[in-house]
Amino acid sequence: MNIVVNGNNRTVESPPLTPLLHVLREELDVLGPKAGCENGGCGACTVLIDGAPRRSCLTAVGSVPDAEVTTVEGLGAPESMSDVQQAFVHYCAAQCGFCTPGMIIAATAYLEGGGSADRTEISEALAGHVCRCTGYLKILDAVAAARDGNFDLSTTAESPHTTVLT
Amino acid sequence: MKAVGARLPRYDGVGHATGRTVYVDDVRVNRMLHTKALRSPHHHAAIKRLDTSRAEQMPGVAAIVTHTDVPLLTYGHLSALGIPADEPLLASEDVRYKGQPIAVVAATDTDAAQAAVDAIDIEFEELPALFDMRKSFDDDAPQIHHWGTIYPHFEGEMNVRQIRKGNVEQAFEQADRIISGVYRPAAIEQMPLETQVGLAVPEPDGRMTIYSCTQALYFSMGVVAAHLQLPLNKLKFVGGTVGGGFGGKVDTATETLCALLAQKSGRPVKWRWTREEEFLCSSTRAPWHMEIIDGVTSDGWILGRKMLTLHDAGGYARFSPYGVTKHSFHHTGAYTIPNLHFDGYVCFTNRTPTSAMRGYGVTSVSFAVETHMSRIATELGVDPYELRLKNANRIGDTSPNGIRYMDPSTVDVLHAIADATDAELAAPYSDATREMREGEWLPEHLVGQLSHSEDH
Amino acid sequence: MAIHTGRGIASIEYPTGMNQNGDPSQAWIKVKPDGRIDVFSGTSDIGNGSKTIQSQIVADTIGVPYDWVTYDNSNTDSSPVCTGTFASRATFVAGKAVLKAAQRVRERILEVAGQEMEISPEDLEIDDGEVMAKGAPTKKLNVGDVAAAATWGHGELITGTGAQLNPYAAISDPTTGEVDGVPHAAISYAACAAEVEVNDETGEIRVVNLTQAYDVGKAINPALVEGQIEGGAIMGLGLGVLEDSYPYYPSAEHRGGDFGSYYNPSSADLPELHNIIIENPSADGPYGAKGIGEMSNNAQPAAIATAVYDAIGVWVTELPITPERVLKAIDARDAGGGPRREGKHVIFDEELSINTVGTGKTWTAGV
Ligand code: FES
Ligand code: FES
Repeated sequence: MNIVVNGNNRTVESPPLTPLLHVLREELDVLGPKAGCENGGCGACTVLIDGAPRRSCLTAVGSVPDAEVTTVEGLGAPESMSDVQQAFVHYCAAQCGFCTPGMIIAATAYLEGGGSADRTEISEALAGHVCRCTGYLKILDAVAAARDGNFDLSTTAESPHTTVLT
Repeated sequence: MKAVGARLPRYDGVGHATGRTVYVDDVRVNRMLHTKALRSPHHHAAIKRLDTSRAEQMPGVAAIVTHTDVPLLTYGHLSALGIPADEPLLASEDVRYKGQPIAVVAATDTDAAQAAVDAIDIEFEELPALFDMRKSFDDDAPQIHHWGTIYPHFEGEMNVRQIRKGNVEQAFEQADRIISGVYRPAAIEQMPLETQVGLAVPEPDGRMTIYSCTQALYFSMGVVAAHLQLPLNKLKFVGGTVGGGFGGKVDTATETLCALLAQKSGRPVKWRWTREEEFLCSSTRAPWHMEIIDGVTSDGWILGRKMLTLHDAGGYARFSPYGVTKHSFHHTGAYTIPNLHFDGYVCFTNRTPTSAMRGYGVTSVSFAVETHMSRIATELGVDPYELRLKNANRIGDTSPNGIRYMDPSTVDVLHAIADATDAELAAPYSDATREMREGEWLPEHLVGQLSHSEDH
Repeated sequence: MAIHTGRGIASIEYPTGMNQNGDPSQAWIKVKPDGRIDVFSGTSDIGNGSKTIQSQIVADTIGVPYDWVTYDNSNTDSSPVCTGTFASRATFVAGKAVLKAAQRVRERILEVAGQEMEISPEDLEIDDGEVMAKGAPTKKLNVGDVAAAATWGHGELITGTGAQLNPYAAISDPTTGEVDGVPHAAISYAACAAEVEVNDETGEIRVVNLTQAYDVGKAINPALVEGQIEGGAIMGLGLGVLEDSYPYYPSAEHRGGDFGSYYNPSSADLPELHNIIIENPSADGPYGAKGIGEMSNNAQPAAIATAVYDAIGVWVTELPITPERVLKAIDARDAGGGPRREGKHVIFDEELSINTVGTGKTWTAGV
């Protein structure tokens, strides 16, 4: 069968019940989606399938023939990052970075679906995406600001949650 | 522009945001094998028979390693700190926790490896297990560790980490109230998003390259070198980019066995733990049991503390004696208490060995001490800020083991949160400083500890 | 049913570096022929940002722009010893190793520049990649030209190494715990004020606000400091009210083997956070910094437990403070439970004590 990954036509040899995550990582060498649990619980494997965010570890590749699959790599390369990717850099919203590919995909789908900058709504959209490092705050702030674009990537955003006493 | 103090973006931020950062699981090498482990299904059992001959014949199997294949089976990760070795890399005679590895199989894929694991012949004889550290001292407690139920190798071959300072008995006599409480934080998971993972690649020059998610490259390299009895120039650790650690990735969980399987098979061997293994078989933060008894005056001075700490190490010592020692050094929290009587024990139980986690040794005592402080404030009817500001460490005060504090800022951080939450502080508490105690800040019972301190 | 609001505080301290020290970190730095800087350090970046922090330290210590610095912690062939990224030591202890290596490199740059400019190195300084005569900033030579001169003219490699090791503080008397030296590299301090809402019918706790102050010495990168404070806050919240590997301790059964059955915090649990960063420079940290990575999850459980008491008048001292424990404590309160009082003794939690559960040891106020 065939799938389209980040705009490229790819032929898949794996049996149809193989999880899409496994196909992407082990057969096609698309390494952005991460295997955080392979059981639907963490969100690190999330990709867009025909524009909708899906956990690739729970998606049998045979169930999405000819689908357009977009992984975090497909949203933008280092020199051509999308607004959401830039926002994650500018807001320091990744620490170890392992949850980030899934978070960015989910945030992208949320914003493209017309999602607002409301913290509670963003939090709901990202529910089920586990991050052990950041405490989520910078992720929520990054997503809230992402649509504005034009980030200065030589620095990071001042935090409205912080007071510095010297 | 100066870099220090600037809100510069992360060095690796663009890699993270574009999915280009390379973690261990993203490393690709040819002819790579995959690993599965035979793990104990019992909390405590003797191994009566272990036979891998049938498993070795299974399709796709390249190597199986058991305890007989390890040049140095039992190595103490903190032997440099005087903590003797007790934990075999693979179980040989007995298993002391559910999930303990007994054998590992490297095969062409994980399914083949699992099939071979299932084909290993093993027989156990279940043994009585101990789960509650509070029963470690009972006469009828099952002796689950070859050292007994309590770690016996603190300095002077003591089985207890002690702190003694001043005279607690006298302090309790002088006290207006003696307040006791028990504090029990749970075991929790470090739970990094990246599970334990390693990849060992034999090189043509006889070296071994080990891709590792360790938090400590040289520490883990030392562990592998010791088990394999190799000089450091035979190993090359590659890593430094880790998908979260929080303490659990100081354990060197996969690297040594990958290296042994790679040696035996002559092929690259990878072992990535499933999330289930990460939850059930990787170390946790320890459960702790702390009993605090404080003698206090009715206006809120803490005259003396007696404290008992039990630390649930699980089946083996790992870093637990280190954790309890660190705990003991900080058992007064951010306060100056001149009379102390502390006993801390490392208790063995039949659960997954506990290990380092963020705040190791002290997270527990921070919870116990601070909740106890709050209780004291409530019991005495003293404002919780005032109670803390009174007893807070100040310059020149001494720690439980006699070290002089040079620059404590408890007063500053308390003032900062009081300000930020509109908590009103009355004089003199609003004007408290970190400076040396004098006047009303230097009651009789705190004079002695000032003079006897060493100046560090 | 009623929702009760409560507040509680906690104030903590935490050491930087391994307890009792003895944990070395080393670094080496070389300068490319165009003046660009290669740092080799063995410090793993586990998300804490040590690649960034150590690069910042090197840039300022040598006096070159941040983007001149590349940082390699990728393997043990090229990087020297670092005990590791734990014990809140990556900024302070490992940071000092790179700082010392950078100081040596700076000295070497000044020596070579001195020969090129025919000015004594003591009369030179480096800023933003330019070596300048002190007081006469028009006399200058780019660090790139200095490195080129070293490479092509002097036949030299500009390099520097640095190592940091606080000596091991041994326990000199195991009966008292006395040590023969300072057993930490530094101590950091923090305080936390928690506000919670407790539902007295379901027992559920919602942490509404965590206001926290940290003395970080010096925030080498405030965004990364915030990352530690915020990530630690949620981890402390998890420890306080959610997470438990053994929900029926002492039983070792019923462990959660996946994300659905182990209760870790999600973004929905995030309270309002107010981070207060206090810069009280440490005497010998790099640029005055101290480590706060670990202590950031230590203060919340006690502040939350106290806030729960403030809200509904019960002490839950077994973590996590689950709805079940809250409801049981409310029942006990309503049944007239509380501490045993005897003379000047106030004895809480007797049912949890080793005196009640175990038989082999007793533990009382009688010393
Ligand atoms: S890997 Fe798919 S949800 Fe965790
Ligand atoms: S950044 Fe590490 S898990 Fe989210």
